[in-house]
Amino acid sequence: MAEIEVMKNILGENDRVAAENQALFREKNVYVLNLMGSPGAGKTSLLERTMERLKGRTRMAVIEGDLFTSRDADRIERHGVPVIQINTAGGCHLDAPMVQKVAKKLDLGALDLLLVENVGNLVCPAEFAVGEDEKAVVLSITEGDDKPMKYPLIFKESAIALLNKADLLPYCDFDMAAARDDIQTLHPGMDIIELSCTQDMGLSAWCDWLLARIAAKEEA
Amino acid sequence: MCKECGCGETNGNTRLQFQVTGYTEASAKDAEKALLGLPGVLYVHIHAHDGETTVDYSPKKTKLMDILGVFQARGLEAAL
Repeated sequence: MAEIEVMKNILGENDRVAAENQALFREKNVYVLNLMGSPGAGKTSLLERTMERLKGRTRMAVIEGDLFTSRDADRIERHGVPVIQINTAGGCHLDAPMVQKVAKKLDLGALDLLLVENVGNLVCPAEFAVGEDEKAVVLSITEGDDKPMKYPLIFKESAIALLNKADLLPYCDFDMAAARDDIQTLHPGMDIIELSCTQDMGLSAWCDWLLARIAAKEEA
Repeated sequence: MCKECGCGETNGNTRLQFQVTGYTEASAKDAEKALLGLPGVLYVHIHAHDGETTVDYSPKKTKLMDILGVFQARGLEAAL
């Protein structure tokens, strides 16, 4: 019986820096979530709704990842939350050294929650740890129910799948039961929340999930 | 993989093709689901009628023995 092994660790240096980041975040007792998903899935909108709901309940900051522009950071800044924009200038994901560089500019000791919005992409961000406690994937209904099986790694790596734009279900050919079944097949027991950032659906469940994660880290 | 940055040049993944005997339509579906539930398994394609089974997985996250265990637990015989 022969097994072909392709074990070259091209991510080795990234993993080393990610471990450093994670140690720093642990020391400062900050829960870090790496938020991933396609362009247009609603990651930034979700962060905005999250900030509206959690303001005054937890101390948070945001790191925004985009190829170009500070448009997302500008949106976040309007909510009065500390935000740093990383422009990857063409790079398709955030990596640990990028996050390490900007994390120094944040007052981590004054934070409970650091939300890292990764570059819009269902593939590469899943392969690069940035030092997060957990990853989350946002999949919008308009993208189609076939995406979990087509892009399995991001669902395997994430602790929670956020099915956004659920208010559009009546207008889309999206089989929610099939999508849920595929996600559970790929990642048995994975948390799934259906939500809509525009219609205020599922956001309480999402914020409760986040607060529970922050509390669990504080207790650890 | 991404051409912009070259990330995941090899992706660290391995594709194995098994010849599996003993499939029924139901056991093939069950095996597919169980294989996909393993942490490193990203893709499974099974031809139940001739037993040809393709598995893409990351050896860093899932051992070959775990994959073989899925077949064995269902009374299936798998050969590479």
